[in-house]
Amino acid sequence: MVESMRQTVAAFLQGVDRYNPNNIRDLENYVILQSQENAYDLEANLAVLKLYQFNDNYKIDITCQVLLKALTNLPHTDFILCKCLLNHEKCNESPIKEIINLADLLESCEFQLFWQLLQDRKMQELCSRIVGFQDSIRKFVCHVVGITFQTIQKSLLTQLLGGVDDNTLKHWVQKYGWKEIEDDMIFIANQDENIKTKNITEKIDFDSVAGIMASCT
Amino acid sequence: MYSGSYDDYEGSYDRGGYNEYDYEPHSGDPQADLEYDHRMHSGYARIPDTVKNFLGFLCNAINEGQLFEIQNLYENTFPKLTEQFYDKTPWPEEAEVRQVVGEDQLFLILYKELYFRHLYARCPNNLNLQARYNSFNNYCDLLNCILGADRPVNLVLPDQWLWELIDEFIYQFQSFSQYRARLAKRSREEIEETTSSKNYKIWNVLCMLNALHSLVDKSNIKKQLEVYASGGDPDSVAGEFGRHSLYKMLGYFSLVALLRLHSLLGDYYQAIKVLENIEIHKKSQYSHIPACQISTSYYVGFAYMMMRRYSDAIRTFSSILLYIQRTKQLFQSRTYQNDQINKQTEQMYHLLAICLVLHPQCIDDSIQQHLREKNYHEKMFKMQCGDLSEFEACFQFACPKFLLAHPPSLTGNTPAEADYMKDATKHQTEVFMDEVIQQKMLPTIRSYLKLYTTLPLYKLATFMNPSSQTTEKDCAALRTHLLCFKHKMKNVVWTKGTSGLEGSFQSGSELDFYIDHDMIHIADTKVANRYGDFFIRKILKFEELNHKLHSIKL
Repeated sequence: MVESMRQTVAAFLQGVDRYNPNNIRDLENYVILQSQENAYDLEANLAVLKLYQFNDNYKIDITCQVLLKALTNLPHTDFILCKCLLNHEKCNESPIKEIINLADLLESCEFQLFWQLLQDRKMQELCSRIVGFQDSIRKFVCHVVGITFQTIQKSLLTQLLGGVDDNTLKHWVQKYGWKEIEDDMIFIANQDENIKTKNITEKIDFDSVAGIMASCT
Repeated sequence: MYSGSYDDYEGSYDRGGYNEYDYEPHSGDPQADLEYDHRMHSGYARIPDTVKNFLGFLCNAINEGQLFEIQNLYENTFPKLTEQFYDKTPWPEEAEVRQVVGEDQLFLILYKELYFRHLYARCPNNLNLQARYNSFNNYCDLLNCILGADRPVNLVLPDQWLWELIDEFIYQFQSFSQYRARLAKRSREEIEETTSSKNYKIWNVLCMLNALHSLVDKSNIKKQLEVYASGGDPDSVAGEFGRHSLYKMLGYFSLVALLRLHSLLGDYYQAIKVLENIEIHKKSQYSHIPACQISTSYYVGFAYMMMRRYSDAIRTFSSILLYIQRTKQLFQSRTYQNDQINKQTEQMYHLLAICLVLHPQCIDDSIQQHLREKNYHEKMFKMQCGDLSEFEACFQFACPKFLLAHPPSLTGNTPAEADYMKDATKHQTEVFMDEVIQQKMLPTIRSYLKLYTTLPLYKLATFMNPSSQTTEKDCAALRTHLLCFKHKMKNVVWTKGTSGLEGSFQSGSELDFYIDHDMIHIADTKVANRYGDFFIRKILKFEELNHKLHSIKL
């Protein structure tokens, strides 16, 4: 279903037809479909926001779904791209405002605060419509943890993942090839292989000075 | 001509850019007004003989396709005559020119394009609503003429002219959007006039997109670029129209125009996407117009910066700024481009400064030196210290003038001071500042990490908050900042391929670290002193001195 939709949409997004207001219904349905089937198509979603921008009427409900979907694609900056197509008023309208706040917490890596805020009933309702939302965020958390830590306390990782139970934790640890080690620590990866002091020294090859050397006679 | 019009524009309002409504009997009827204008002008304007000759030559050269002759007349004679006869007054009206050159439809359209361009740049007093409409309609005539033909139109124009034509098209759209948005200074009739359904299409964003897309499609430029990027011959896919230089270059410049238009609307994804198959740093058969190259890099770099692709932004800016440094003399003779190029150059140095504060990395020495000499370092220092107003000031100086996509709704209760144009810029500034605020702690952390190779977490927490006893809460807060540091410094960087949107996640900044247990391990980039340039300069100096000594005759 999503796949066939993806192709149809991609076809008319090629040319000027992407600005055709008659396509808005299809695009909106596609957004809903993405939410339901845990699929994602940034370009189509941006096209929806662009049509809203051009026609000055917009569905807040769809906009919210587009924004939440953008969060599921962190660490990519899709959310910023979406935000740039809104305007000052829309950004201050509830619940867009609250979603922006969520994004702010995620971008600042305030994960514990993020999970707390997600407890809010209204937020829960919004996010529950995006299938796989929480796991997508956990994927992002794991990405940041994966690049930051060599070893991390198990309790801290649990908190960052939103206070998950032991089994779920094990699932994520396994998924990323991490290892539980002694002292309730989790071994992430040997970072010193990737993160090394770089020395940049000047290299002058013969060709680049041949000319000047020839003239020094 | 074109230069400085960005700046002049705002000022011209205050000098009474459209205040003629106060003392001219404006009827509201376009046709009547047009005639009125004609009478006004033909009253006192007699075309000098030199100008008559110029018009005759230009018309001839265009009809006979003498490219070099056209180029000379366009780039040298036209600005010279403008200075001499029409410094602050419009060029002769169409009707008068028709008497000189005869009934030459295509030439008159091209002439009017120059006429309006000059009007926008030099004669703000004559730039009323009707003139704006007429200019738009003239563009439509031109496009109909070029795009509507069954066979390619037999017309060659210098690429410089084609670029400026397209660039001006977008500029006038931008100018109109600003004009429309400044509601407070409009009279009621005028507001109604601009929003009435019969004028709705004029300078409408969809029309703009349509026009540019049509030029792109007609020229097959996308296919041509694709084939060119893979090493083939673009002519093999260009088709009848696309092989023709006029269509090919108009198509290419339209892509750059789309980049600009999308950027002005805040759509950075489309902005970068539209340049697929163009490698902007590579010399190609399309890249010989400096103003086009510079404009392209400005918008591409800006879009990258907004997308938090700092490495790509820095690469884009450095590369074009180096090019500008090297070819500076080229622009000096043509002053009408110079202002525009200089302004954009300065804007790019500001953007580069911002990017380097957020994402410190090695750049070319001569660019670094320019930043030092021109006091950008002071601005950068303030930003590093977390001075948000400095960030905002730099951003607002350097960002494009953003646009609203639709006319503001006029429900009657619009506040008198409404200026909808600023809203667009304000919003983009807010988005950018949100990002800056998220990263606010990073420069401070970076400055401490730079001093160590390993540093215990709690010790850094103490540095961050020296006044009070370090608690577990401080450590937790620091850990969050460190996570944020890693997240923000790992960005998509373009590596290869034909799309500027692609790339892989890299940590391109000069300082990196990881946390093991509660210890931070730091990896810095050390740059050894460079001697090559120094010695080469000394050698050259010595040579020169030697040469001089030899030439002294005793």
